[in-house]
Amino acid sequence: MGWSRYIARRIVENLLLVLFLVVAMFVLFRLAPGDPVATIVSPELSPQARQQIMDEWGLSGSLFTQFVRYLQGVLTLDFGQSFAYRRSVWDILSEKFANTIVLVIPSVTIGAACGLWLGLRAGMSPHGWSDRVSLWLPPILRGVPPFWLGILLLMLFSYGLGWFPIGGMRTLGAPDRTFADRFLTLDFLRHLALPVLCLAITSLPEPILLMRQSVRGVLRDDYISYLGLRGLPASNFRRHVFWNSSLPVVTWFFHMFGYTLSTSVVIEIVFAWPGLGREMANAVLSYDYPLAQGCFFLIATIVIMLNFILDLIYPLIDPRIARPAEVTA
Amino acid sequence: MSTIQQSTIVSGLSRKGIAPPSFIGALGVIGAFVLAALLAPLVLGDDPFANHFIPGGGLARYQWPSPAFPFGTNVYGQDVFQQTMLGAQRTLVIGFVSGAIIMIIATLIGVVSGYFGGLTDAVLMRITDFFYAIPFLPFSLIFVHFFGTSLSSVCAAIGLIFWRTGARVVRSVVLSLRERQYVKAAKAAGAGPIWIMRYHIIPGVAGIALLYGVFGAAWAILTEATLSFIGLSDPTAISWGLMLNQAFANGAIRFAWWWVVPPGVSLTLLLGALFLLARSIEGAVDRRLAD
Repeated sequence: MGWSRYIARRIVENLLLVLFLVVAMFVLFRLAPGDPVATIVSPELSPQARQQIMDEWGLSGSLFTQFVRYLQGVLTLDFGQSFAYRRSVWDILSEKFANTIVLVIPSVTIGAACGLWLGLRAGMSPHGWSDRVSLWLPPILRGVPPFWLGILLLMLFSYGLGWFPIGGMRTLGAPDRTFADRFLTLDFLRHLALPVLCLAITSLPEPILLMRQSVRGVLRDDYISYLGLRGLPASNFRRHVFWNSSLPVVTWFFHMFGYTLSTSVVIEIVFAWPGLGREMANAVLSYDYPLAQGCFFLIATIVIMLNFILDLIYPLIDPRIARPAEVTA
Repeated sequence: MSTIQQSTIVSGLSRKGIAPPSFIGALGVIGAFVLAALLAPLVLGDDPFANHFIPGGGLARYQWPSPAFPFGTNVYGQDVFQQTMLGAQRTLVIGFVSGAIIMIIATLIGVVSGYFGGLTDAVLMRITDFFYAIPFLPFSLIFVHFFGTSLSSVCAAIGLIFWRTGARVVRSVVLSLRERQYVKAAKAAGAGPIWIMRYHIIPGVAGIALLYGVFGAAWAILTEATLSFIGLSDPTAISWGLMLNQAFANGAIRFAWWWVVPPGVSLTLLLGALFLLARSIEGAVDRRLAD
């Protein structure tokens, strides 16, 4: 199977996944016990007013017409109006999405960088301190619930030492008109520090373990022994080992991105961060179903897209997987 | 248990390749929590929401840890120590039930998919792909919101998602197992697919299935605690997530560390023990599959 056919097949498969997701969301939200209309529409309303509201929210007609209307909406990225904000769901999502991305990307990057460093050290010096740390740290860190870690960081650094603000994205009243105002100020970085630290620590265990194991494997390879025998300077040698063993962490990076997007729901709550996850939790808890649906769809679609991108770049990073079709077929 | 018996068990385990200190330690921590869950209602009383009063008659709010209240009291004058011990009940049940559900689904899907191959495999693996695309926390948030915070609903929400990883791994092991000589011999002797799966494949993947059962229990406990913290918990059943939710909502994290630390440390200890246990099982399974 050729390269272009492989890509075409992955595109079709991923589009099917998105379609299934859309159907599943409709089923999930309509299967919900209790009439969705009852939760939005007050029983005291007149029948005409009730009908008008139901039309507006796409809740009138048979289940089939509702589904068709819903499908049309999703395909044109129109998730309707938020019950609570009285604004288009898409507007709210695009605003909150940026806030979540600026939180997730630095977190996963820092987690990966520290994990790569420690894993490389541990892999290259068995029985050293880094090896012991890399053996005991991951299961302990995995056991710490991310939201509790967030609370501890707040207790220590914000309430205790007063070094960092207690939450939010910027000091109240700070300008937020332009992109630079929002994301390129010292004030923003101070607010960003603790949530990023929390998510970075959460994402640390896997890259340590993956890198350590991968380095061990690479060190057993003949070409690396040869490099060692040639008497390469230590730093040069380490660079070769690093590049040849970092592949599993690249794969992990994409998965971790999706996972962190999921976990950000609770981290954003702890740090009062106005992002997608916190918005989603609020929407669910306040019965704002269009908004909850939109958030869920966006997060799930990003996860599907990340996997797709990974499928595409994997053969580029590792030429040994020249024909990925054989792997998946 | 006598010392001699104990030492034989430890050396027996180490002969089988299970690292004794971390394995025994993990089992010890889990056992301690099981004991706490069983004994707490008898020793401390079974109402975690009972309000305590100070001698003068007022509610015993935010009492520092003392002999009467080893972990202090919270804003409602409730005993944090008692809540922590009783909170182990729900956590352990959720972990055990969800872990079992995850183990069973992962084994069934992985074994059927890997053994039959072809169209069955393609369909089952596409379904697995679909579940991979579902973000677990948003999904369980919506699911529990719709179907309630009862034990069965929470376990269903968690079990429905987390079988996905195990199913893929079990399948990949089955792919290699079904090419083994003894499976071919059984087939040549006229054994049907059900027989072969029951007696030759499933025993071979039992270790891996158990591993993902333990992982599943840990993910389930973490997810339940997270949902409870967000506010989706049964308000009539005490859980560590609910305690942290109330401490956070009341702003107690500013000063009442004794309300925040016990439930979090309990979660960390239990989850850490499960992950250590998983690592011991993983080591043993790896060695067995390598044989």
